[in-house]
Amino acid sequence: MTLRRALVLVALLLGACHRSPVHATSNAFKVALITPGSIADAAWNAGAYQGLQQIKDSLGAAISNIEAHTPAEQEEALRSYAAQGYRLVFGHGYEFQQPAERVSRDYPNTIFIITSGQRLSGNVIPLVFRIHEATYLAGMLAGVMTRTGKIGFIGGMELPPIKLGLDGWIQGARAVRPDVQIRITYLNSFDDAAAGKEAALAMIRIGVDQLHHNADAAGLGVFSAARESPGVLVYGANGDQKSLAPDRVVASAVVDLPRALLVVSREIQHGAFTPHAESFGLGSGVIRLAVNPELERLWPTGLAERIKAASDSIIAGTLKVAGQAPR
Amino acid sequence: MSGTALAPDRTRSLLQATVPLGLGLLVLAGFLVLAGFPVMPAVNALWRGAFGSWYAFSSAALVHATPLIILGLAFTLGSKAGAINVGMEGQFAAGAIAATWVGLHLGALPAMVAIPIVLAAGLLGGAVWITAPVILRIKFGITEVISTLLLNFVGYAAVSYAVTGPLQESGRTYPQSDAIAASARLPQLSHGSRLHLGFVLALVTAALLSVLLRRTTWGFRLRAVGAGPRAAALTGRIPLTKVAGVALLWSGALAGLGGAVEVSGVSYALFQNLSPGYGFTAIAVALLGRERPMLVLVAGVLFGALEAGAGAMQRDAGIPAVAVQVVEAVVIITALLTARRSA
Repeated sequence: MTLRRALVLVALLLGACHRSPVHATSNAFKVALITPGSIADAAWNAGAYQGLQQIKDSLGAAISNIEAHTPAEQEEALRSYAAQGYRLVFGHGYEFQQPAERVSRDYPNTIFIITSGQRLSGNVIPLVFRIHEATYLAGMLAGVMTRTGKIGFIGGMELPPIKLGLDGWIQGARAVRPDVQIRITYLNSFDDAAAGKEAALAMIRIGVDQLHHNADAAGLGVFSAARESPGVLVYGANGDQKSLAPDRVVASAVVDLPRALLVVSREIQHGAFTPHAESFGLGSGVIRLAVNPELERLWPTGLAERIKAASDSIIAGTLKVAGQAPR
Repeated sequence: MSGTALAPDRTRSLLQATVPLGLGLLVLAGFLVLAGFPVMPAVNALWRGAFGSWYAFSSAALVHATPLIILGLAFTLGSKAGAINVGMEGQFAAGAIAATWVGLHLGALPAMVAIPIVLAAGLLGGAVWITAPVILRIKFGITEVISTLLLNFVGYAAVSYAVTGPLQESGRTYPQSDAIAASARLPQLSHGSRLHLGFVLALVTAALLSVLLRRTTWGFRLRAVGAGPRAAALTGRIPLTKVAGVALLWSGALAGLGGAVEVSGVSYALFQNLSPGYGFTAIAVALLGRERPMLVLVAGVLFGALEAGAGAMQRDAGIPAVAVQVVEAVVIITALLTARRSA
């Protein structure tokens, strides 16, 4: 009885589906962004969202975005956009690589760009950021600024792009202060700001006075911990994060995601695009160290010149930063 | 909880199931108006994303619904015997780990053999995960509400460990497993659609459970224990703890099956965030479905449709994800309230 009712309901639902699917008719350049987390994280995902807005403003593209947290949602989102005739779909994180490769077989006309992707595969294009070039410079700053000789890093998860940034940070700090001690915590979360704060406070308690993070929204907790702890300085990641604690943030290792997304989209819109891995470093301007001018007065004399010299050597290729970006 | 089915109850229960959804949609409309979003395009996108085309319904709504149905049934099975399994996230994770592990090694076998093995591994993984709570309940009377809940966190940690340790992909860099063998993947029901055999499995499970609960002695005993443990004990013919324990064990196994189905039907690999909280949403699905297998099926499809529509609302109407989560929360809370009032 109940069963029959249930079947009737299902039948009704199925009946409702017999409408023709909506097809895109316009010829606009359609660009979509799929983020693995909230676009309100003031970092990784927010940057991509800004990029999407710029693609709309500068290139006149029709845009759309969606947050997709699980593998199931991510593949569904990739497929839906491709099916709707999007020319360009950004999967904003390494986790989109496998599903994008599966989906791309059915949609040869869509280009999938995977930020921090692992490999080039047909029309699935990796976007590689050599973030370690900027964290090296931030690490130099921290190595000079630390009074206790202890610096700390708080990461979201132990992922290659994050380890890469950490490697640069350590190498930079050691370059100016070989005996520096480094504490590392991975939160296993990119959302849990409370955990980020707790980890930061724990480090501060054992004498860490320079903190760098790469944990997206969870990293926001690091800033809040620093605001409560006198003498602690913070180095932001991915975006210019000085506004989060203007008197504490010395500099941020910035991935100018908006710029990177815009550069790639422009290439594709103009049709001159042959599939190749897109790699950005300090030389491209996409990766850079954003210095907080208000705290520059704390810098010892000559530091600015040393940073500039290191930056130039990295761009020239004479200074090699350890981490090797995946190809 | 809902007791046995009596005729006049039926229309009422169907009504009670639709109230939460209606209320949820009303709240959504209010939210959109307050936040300054156009309501009609949003609702339109919601509808199109869920039911607007066969593709949307089968590839988005039903794919989302599949784990919710299986876990909803898992909860129902335990709850009918008076055991509340809130550890389905953990069992789902255990089932997913087991299925992945097995699935990685089955390349040599044909699908006819490989798929049953993968699904059995999921059942077994889930059952193993709930073994400790079952023993704690039977031997020491420790409530399964706490023990199963706590094992969720162990389950999350186990997945993290698996994808960074023994099951990590061969490149040893990313926290995910390699893809399972092609023969271990659930076939898609039609070409170009993402709907996989797991949905059929969910349908069969619902039908099977419905028959088992209503038409067998086993089902009768189970319901008797759940409805009135005292009375059941007084008959002297129903081994109380054993019946509830077995129901709980099967509940865990089913939740593990859900994990196996998600791996072999959707993600083809183990990831850290495989479940967006299916194990909790499924409790709402079970309650919304009045803990009757065939109604749970319908509730699962409705929730799946809601999630699919929510995705489209973001994609096509630019409504932020938060709005969508608010709706789901309202539906869940209202479902719980109406379930409680009629209990």
